Amino acid sequence: MNQKQSNERRLGWLLCAPAVTALLVVTAYPILYALWLSLFRYDLRFPDQRAFIGLDNYVSILTSEVWWHALGNTLILTIISVSLELLLGFPLALIMHHTLFWRRAVRATTLIPYAIITVVAALAWKFAFDPTIGFVNALLGTEQAWLTQRWSAFLVIILTEIWKTTPFMALLLMAGLTLVPHDLIQAARVDGANAWQRFIKIIVPIMKPAILVAVLFRTLDAFRIFDTVFIQTRGAQGTETVSLLGYNTFIVSLNLGLGSAVSVLIFIGVLIISVLFIKGFGASLTKGGNAE
Amino acid sequence: MMMRNDLMGRIFWGMGNLIVMAYALLPVLWIVSLSLKQSSHLNDQRFFPQTISFENYRIIFSDMQFPAALWNSIGIAVISTLLAVTLGMFAAYAIVRLEFPGRRLILAGALATAMFPSVVIIGPIFNMWRTVGLFDTWLGLILPYMTFALPLAIWILSAFFREMPWDLDKAARVDGATPLQAFIWVIVPLAAPAVFTAAILVFIFAWNDFLFAISLTSTNNARTVPAVIAFFTGSSRFELPTGLIAAASVVITVPVMIIVLIFQRLIVAGLTSGAVKG
Amino acid sequence: MIRIRLTLVLWITVSIILYGCSSHRKEAIPTLNWYVAGEPSGAFFMAAKRCSEDSGQAYKIEQVPLPADTDQQREQLVRRLAAGDNAIDIIGMDVIWTAEFAQAGWILPWTGKTAEQAKAGRLDAPLQSAIYQNQLWAAPFTTNIQLLWYRTDRVNTAPATWDEMILLAESLGEIGTIQAQGERYEGLTAFFVSLLASNGGSVLDVSGKHISLAQQPTLQTLSTMARFANSSAADWALATAREDQARLAFESGHSSFMVNYPFVWPSAQRNAPEIAKHLGWARWPATIEGKPSRFVIGGLNLGVSAYTPYPQLAFHAAACLTAAKHQRMAAELGGLLPTIAALYDEPEIRVTYPFADVLRSSLSDAVQRPQTPLYNDISLAISRTLHPMRDIEPQKDFIRLRRAIERALNSEGLL
Repeated sequence: MNQKQSNERRLGWLLCAPAVTALLVVTAYPILYALWLSLFRYDLRFPDQRAFIGLDNYVSILTSEVWWHALGNTLILTIISVSLELLLGFPLALIMHHTLFWRRAVRATTLIPYAIITVVAALAWKFAFDPTIGFVNALLGTEQAWLTQRWSAFLVIILTEIWKTTPFMALLLMAGLTLVPHDLIQAARVDGANAWQRFIKIIVPIMKPAILVAVLFRTLDAFRIFDTVFIQTRGAQGTETVSLLGYNTFIVSLNLGLGSAVSVLIFIGVLIISVLFIKGFGASLTKGGNAE
Repeated sequence: MMMRNDLMGRIFWGMGNLIVMAYALLPVLWIVSLSLKQSSHLNDQRFFPQTISFENYRIIFSDMQFPAALWNSIGIAVISTLLAVTLGMFAAYAIVRLEFPGRRLILAGALATAMFPSVVIIGPIFNMWRTVGLFDTWLGLILPYMTFALPLAIWILSAFFREMPWDLDKAARVDGATPLQAFIWVIVPLAAPAVFTAAILVFIFAWNDFLFAISLTSTNNARTVPAVIAFFTGSSRFELPTGLIAAASVVITVPVMIIVLIFQRLIVAGLTSGAVKG
Repeated sequence: MIRIRLTLVLWITVSIILYGCSSHRKEAIPTLNWYVAGEPSGAFFMAAKRCSEDSGQAYKIEQVPLPADTDQQREQLVRRLAAGDNAIDIIGMDVIWTAEFAQAGWILPWTGKTAEQAKAGRLDAPLQSAIYQNQLWAAPFTTNIQLLWYRTDRVNTAPATWDEMILLAESLGEIGTIQAQGERYEGLTAFFVSLLASNGGSVLDVSGKHISLAQQPTLQTLSTMARFANSSAADWALATAREDQARLAFESGHSSFMVNYPFVWPSAQRNAPEIAKHLGWARWPATIEGKPSRFVIGGLNLGVSAYTPYPQLAFHAAACLTAAKHQRMAAELGGLLPTIAALYDEPEIRVTYPFADVLRSSLSDAVQRPQTPLYNDISLAISRTLHPMRDIEPQKDFIRLRRAIERALNSEGLL
């Protein structure tokens, strides 16, 4: 190795050092700390009862119906909203892609749901569905207290999520659409393929990496859903999610030991999702990612 | 025949545009309309206000809490953005331009960090902050914001940097500039749009945060607007101050809407750069 | 040139004076921050103002409003106390927090002269709510207890038991509805604990460390709840009703019975004078005939934060805020029941509360919700297990409830 290379290597590390240090301090350390705390009985309301209890916290969580219920809810919300977003994202992407006039305006407007604060979006929809102040009941001619029953509350939460994140999905898909060569479509059209056939046979396969990346991003993002549920139901009516459970255990109950164990389990959940995606679609994913 | 097809296509996509715009704007218009309703008309179940009143805006700005929260939100989001983009810029440059072991690991690590749920670390951070006295301070929020801000900055910047004309950099180095000088005098001006894009997106994310804000702050010292809105007390014991919440929501939505409308091209490029090559 | 210099001198002088004033004010009169639920009538504000004035510049009480919802109040306070926040001096504590706050070391015990002041003339039940492990932790300020409210134009005499009331309501048809609290929150726990106590049972044993929940009274309580929720006498929105939803529904006229706190009385006078004319009251319905009901006590006690820089001043101020004259003011302006027994005999109070005697006899039989530092967890365990009431199956839920409370007691379960 010559002098220049070793200089370059040192500079590379030097330039990365601040960012890496910051990331280690604010993420790696707290995660390891959570791992450590999860082995203790450590409740801030009983500071003097701190004691090492091994895996008891995990046993207690995994045998609790509350955990499985929250996990189930989170998965339901994730699966339903991500699949609907994908379904709606395609037409949205096509519209944005094909827009001839107002291109700027259309694209800018679709970015608004994405850029708006989640809390504000959740409140807007909550008020819209409110039986006394909202317009939805008047519009649909219903008399429903939407957020007071499990399934209708889920409906409102999912609607909010979809409204907020479909544009993001659509943008990623649109970026994939630009990769589809125009002459390929023309050739298929000449060969007599109809729009649907062109879409399924040509566009989707080429876009597959982009679709998978978008779905992975959104799945992991939906799995940590917190703001919308917190604002709209606070987990009542059986809509609690794992993030809400973590918040309640940490911040409401101040039970750091148990909360840390919940954290670790959520973390493992995220790892499992990522591994499933990478195992399932590994090759397509790396093609799509920007890891050269 | 061709003409008619074309016209049909135009109408079809035009309708699509209208639907898309209505879809995106509906809740925004709704919250604006709520904020302008008189409190006695709040229950009229109409979409648009019958009479327009700015009373809600007057109240939130004459209250102590909201202006303080707005100041906190702005200050914390701006500082987080500056910090993340500065550190991210150095790292992204090194990752793209320099040959050194571990650079792929850094990029992958950053992506992994961006994807894990914040709730995982609020407990440990709360416990750390209460011992070192960072609870309810600006720094106490800025540091945890790095968990999503830094990966986002590194990821976007490295994607942009990969596409930049680096010949200029090489030319400068041939002329005898050190890598550092080449970085400061040649690359920084070239990279400005990329940096700006990263900054916008990081700002939007920091502006949006709710979980850290409600967990790690408690007073006007550091409470940001999303947290304040969620816990608005209102004057009477049982009524939810809907009009005030709506007005406060509009106030914090306006800045991001302006940013989005002006910089939509950059934002689209920034968002898609991380996911799809090109 | 001269003008510039003059301006400069003036500027500096003004700055110094302003600076001097502001720092001077801070040092001379310590500010005591009183965290308490917002009180719209201004009674708390007036009390704070008067006590500040009476202190002779010793302190100034600043009222800081907390959210209306008890759970949210607790959440905010607890997080700050756990972080050792020294900006909290006096805490308006719901009666159910005493054990938790005391055990965690977040509040200071009351001793000596201020303790005597805080105990003076108090009704027993409110006083007991401020005591944990034989130590006084807060000054009883206001209290609260539910009564049965009914329409005298539809019902001749108030039903004495739940069974009787449900039958009566069913026989009245559509207008027979009974308003109660069935949402998944503290009110549901209060409902359960009260029915259980009326049946002679309790959640924890006397030590407060172990579960009691005897089979017979618990099963009876659960079947009363299930029977009520599935009866045509229950409101269709029972599963989301809190105190105020119940009040609003009653004021609309389509209900004949309501279990609720006395705030509904002034509210009915204001909002529904026609209904107020026919508004009768009675003791909360019993569960066993001939055995008076026992409802859980509510209300507000004032504690002193362990992190206050001015503990002595804070004790003094809290004692002042809870004194008889300020309780009277809170009762007359804010509709908050006093904890001092003698006030119930005062003519002005009896005008405000024509049902003062029923209140006093109810208060004398009132029960405490479990006085344990784990109360919050236990309450959540109860309300989560029993919500919605219409789905209660006594045999099955008895076991679920026992299990949930046991987990909460070991502070091991998720909630």
